[in-house]
This record gives sequence, structure tokens and C-alpha cells, in this order.
Amino acid sequence: MSPDPANASLEPASEYPPELSRLPPGRHGLPREFVIRNQRERLIAGLAEAVAENGYAGTTIAHITRHAAVSRRTFYEHFSSKDECFFAAYDTVMEELRERIDEAYAEHDEWPRAVSAGIEAMLAFLASEPNLARLCMVEALVAGPVVVERYDAAIQSLVPYFKAGREDCPPEVLERLSPSTEEALVGGIASLISRRIIAGKTAELESLLPDLVEFALTPYLGSTEAAKVARG
Amino acid sequence: MRPPPGRQQLSREFIARHQRARIINALAEETAEKGYRAVTVADIVRRAGIARNTFYDNFSSKEDCFLATQDFAAEEALRRVREAAEPIESWQARVGAGLAAFLGYVAEEPALARACMVEALSAGPAALERYEQALQSFLPLFRIGRKVAPHGEDLPETLEETVVGGIFWIVYQRLVLGEAERIERLLPELVEFALTPYVGADAARAAAAELEGGSGAD
Repeated sequence: MSPDPANASLEPASEYPPELSRLPPGRHGLPREFVIRNQRERLIAGLAEAVAENGYAGTTIAHITRHAAVSRRTFYEHFSSKDECFFAAYDTVMEELRERIDEAYAEHDEWPRAVSAGIEAMLAFLASEPNLARLCMVEALVAGPVVVERYDAAIQSLVPYFKAGREDCPPEVLERLSPSTEEALVGGIASLISRRIIAGKTAELESLLPDLVEFALTPYLGSTEAAKVARG
Repeated sequence: MRPPPGRQQLSREFIARHQRARIINALAEETAEKGYRAVTVADIVRRAGIARNTFYDNFSSKEDCFLATQDFAAEEALRRVREAAEPIESWQARVGAGLAAFLGYVAEEPALARACMVEALSAGPAALERYEQALQSFLPLFRIGRKVAPHGEDLPETLEETVVGGIFWIVYQRLVLGEAERIERLLPELVEFALTPYVGADAARAAAAELEGGSGAD
């Protein structure tokens, strides 16, 4: 696990180093801003744990504060509602996921390798964070229309990574690719990942890598070349 | 529509089936308009033009009615797809005909499609499970393509799931944007998308091009 503090924020509260997991009540000499940030992160992690346990609809603010080990009052200092806490959690997870994808994608000059690395990073992150994976790929859909909008936007925001593949395509391929190709690709990939998470197979997500890479590259490279990159 | 006077002459079974269908339609329309969560049994009853008791003769709750709606639509969609595809010999053309039937159903029943392909995702675990089953029921129709694909046995194990998932996603997006009536225009693109992994881009394109003349408005 990376020592980056941004990553630490995504850990379930119970996995925090002991000095962070429960701030002692009263005067602890920690800067106020640090305490606030820490509380917010703990609430987000607490929500992810509570939702993994009870589903979004079954989660109450009491569940969240219990997992986060903060008071109800503290919850309301940060968020006005369960939904608002969920949005914050969702945005935090997606931001983190995007960072990982960007980083992996940027390491390669050739587009097929870059896409493959991006998918690999996404699967690795989701597999290593089952609560967060469930939160952003399953519960986001169940949580109601406002979150669904965010989910849709997040999935659609992956389209440009695939569209970049058009740049290297010969003209005859370019001319053939239909406008909705990338949308269908990201939708297909997201749908498969969600189904595996629902089926309780989050830990095995990384085994999907060759299949997803081949699926994603086939429209651009043809299936033989796509399979080579995927399995090579 | 309310049953005409003199309905006493109709068989009980006919009336029961008709009532059920009317309730399902009413739920789909209310759901498309307000979102599943906001819909009440009173809304459904009002829209269907039936007595509250009649609703409860058929369904135990709004949830029960929603699941029945999903079952009805999934069965009907699969029936239409099969009926369109079965008489055709080549698998590529069968995919085209099946997808045309599917998109045609969505365009014909946008409220029902929205209930089952959009609202179903956020209508609770049982509804999500139904959605999942509906999606899975289409997988075997694509899986047959492995037999005609030059490297069928080498294709990714999950290919059908990603192909159907991709198609559902595109339809989902269009329904969310309120573009159900234009959905049939996507037929050539979706056929090409679905066929390319199996038969290659050129053959997929040829199959899609054949449809282009026949698609669009009825």
C-alpha cells in the first residue's frame, strides 16, 4: 500500500494506525484543520464499511458514525445527510481511481499498452478495496437517481482513454469505427465488473484483465492483434 | 382504456390478464414519469383506472408489481428477439434481426424500457437480480457466434457479457436522455459492435450495412 496520505484516507477506519483511528477526546494538541480532515476521511471510510455491511438503503447515520467512531454531531458538522456523505465518498473513490488509471496510462507511449495498463490499474484498485469497489460500482446505482447521475458521468468520463486509440488508426479503420464504439466499450467493461462484484468475486477481478483488454482493443486493432496484446 | 360495458360476457381469465397488463402499463408509465421511488400504489391505481382492491388482488405491493413488470418485459423482449431471429439462417443476420426487434420494442414501449433498463437498477436488490437475469438470458444468443467465428474457441470467456453489457449501456444512456424514439437508428452501429469480435470488422460492417436500408421508421 502506498504511503501517500490520499490513499490512507480510503482505508477502512479500523485499519488506521492506532494513533489515528481514535482521536482521544479533549485536548490532544492536534491542529484543528487536521482533526477536521481526519474526521471527514473517517466518515467516508465509515460510510463505505457501513454500506458494504447493510447496503445503501439499509445504512443509517448511526451505522456510519459507529464505523467512523465519531459522534453524530460530528457527522452533521461535515455532512447534512447520508446522501451528501455518499456523494463525498463516491467522489473521493472516483478521484482516487482516476489518479491510478492516469498514472498507469501515462507510463506507456503506445496506446494499446497504455489502455491495458489503465484497465489493469482499475482492476487492481477495485480488487484491493472491496468495500470501495462495491460502493462505486454497485451501490452507486442502487443509491438513487442523483448518485446514478454521478455514476453515469464517471463511466462516460472513461471514454476519452479509448477515443485516443483512434489517433493511431489507419484511415480505413477510422472511417469504419462508429461514434458509439467507446461508449459501448466502457459500458461493457463497467457492466462486467459490476456483475462480478455483485456475485461476490471482487477478489478475482484482476483475472479479467486479458479478456477486457482484448475486448477493448478489438475494434481498433482487430481481434488477432488485440489478443496478442492482451495475452502477450 | 376502461373495459367496455358488458364486460361480464368476457371470461374471468381474460379480464384478469387484461387487468394485470393494465396495471403493469400504469406502473411503467408512472415510473418513467416520476422515478420508481416516488410512485405510490395510489398513482398506479389512478393511472390504470381500477379499484385499489383490484391492485391488491393481483399484487401484494408496489415492489411485487415492479418485479412482475420486469418479468413481463424480459419475457416479451426475449420472445420478440427469438421470433425475429429464429427463421434466419446466418448467425450474423440473426443478430441483426434480433437486435432490430429489441430496439423496436424499446422504441415502441419507452416507459416500460425505462422502468426495466434504468429504474430497475435503483429499485432494490430483487429488481437488480431480475435485471441481471434478463441480461443473462441474451448471452446464449451471442454465444452461438463462437461456432461461426474463425477463432471462436480463443475468444475471451467473458465476451458475451461485455457485448451485451455494452449494448445495454448504450440503450440505458439513450433512455436516460429521453431519446427512446430514435434508438432504432443505432441498429447498424450496435450490430457492428456486437459482431466485430466474432467475425472481424469487415464482415461485421457488411452485415450492418445490409440492415441500414431496412432500419428506421416502420
